[in-house]
Amino acid sequence: MIGRPESTPMSLQRPSVEEGLAAEEALLEAVCQGDTSLAGLAWSPTDRALVMPRRHQRLAGFPDARRRLAAMAWPIQFRATGGTPVPQSPAVVNLALAIRCRVGDSAAHLDWGYRRLGDPWCDWLASLGVTSADLGPAPGAYCDGRYNVRIASRKLVGTAQRWRRVRGCRDMALLVHGAMQVEDTPGELVAVVNAFQAAIDDPLRFQAGSHIALRDVLPDLQLEPAIPRLVARVLAWHVVPEEGS
Amino acid sequence: MSTAITVPEDLWEGDNEGVITAWLVNDGGQVSQGDLVAEVMVEKAQYEIEAPADGRLTITKQEDEVVEKGTTIASLDD
Repeated sequence: MIGRPESTPMSLQRPSVEEGLAAEEALLEAVCQGDTSLAGLAWSPTDRALVMPRRHQRLAGFPDARRRLAAMAWPIQFRATGGTPVPQSPAVVNLALAIRCRVGDSAAHLDWGYRRLGDPWCDWLASLGVTSADLGPAPGAYCDGRYNVRIASRKLVGTAQRWRRVRGCRDMALLVHGAMQVEDTPGELVAVVNAFQAAIDDPLRFQAGSHIALRDVLPDLQLEPAIPRLVARVLAWHVVPEEGS
Repeated sequence: MSTAITVPEDLWEGDNEGVITAWLVNDGGQVSQGDLVAEVMVEKAQYEIEAPADGRLTITKQEDEVVEKGTTIASLDD
């Protein structure tokens, strides 16, 4: 059982992929219902799946791809945030933040949302001695975007969002999610996404060299005590407005 | 009376284009004000579009079509 959103467990939770995705949806819904205005959840799945937005079902080769990935013990599941396929496994730590935003503020935009998660993530890495972390694209990475958490320009954390109107008012509820590869080599997870690409007959292939795992830079890090400090940093963070905004 | 469903101007900043990733109600379906009817994705962010009124839905922008802020994507008729 995953902690209730309003209680925001600081420790790393270990649900299944399906339970973790459902818990993230529950965080967003709790903000929409007015139960809380800020909540977070860190989780690492006990099983594995290739997770993608539901629109990928419309791809011509999807049924065959689903069968082929299932035969590789990588079942396909769907998520509520945007982007493209991402592997979830015990090698991945996820952090989701749900927050209520007032439309018209600088805090009601996707760039703000990505910084709201990514800036404290970089700060947490700096506190562990990784001072080269920043936000930006990682060409050649799967599910690339403008706001990955990068180390030496390689993707450590992929980020995505979902926005929903708060019931009965113009405020918005934001769910911003980050998935960080901790264990395994990047090549192992890239191979799963490339297998999906091949199965849907898409010639695009992703590069292991565009990714990095946390173990590559912090081989001795004790995850269980470190993740609560990441959660605390993200919850407490205040984005400094850019000049002129 | 017909009510347009448009991509709201305040969903994201900048001039980035989005794409309709899903219609959650079939063309011709009956919806109530506030029902979620569609999803638009911009920069890996999914935005939910609500029905602004009660009515029967006529979809004018299909899934995977590119949209800008303010684009009319459907209408609702009494």
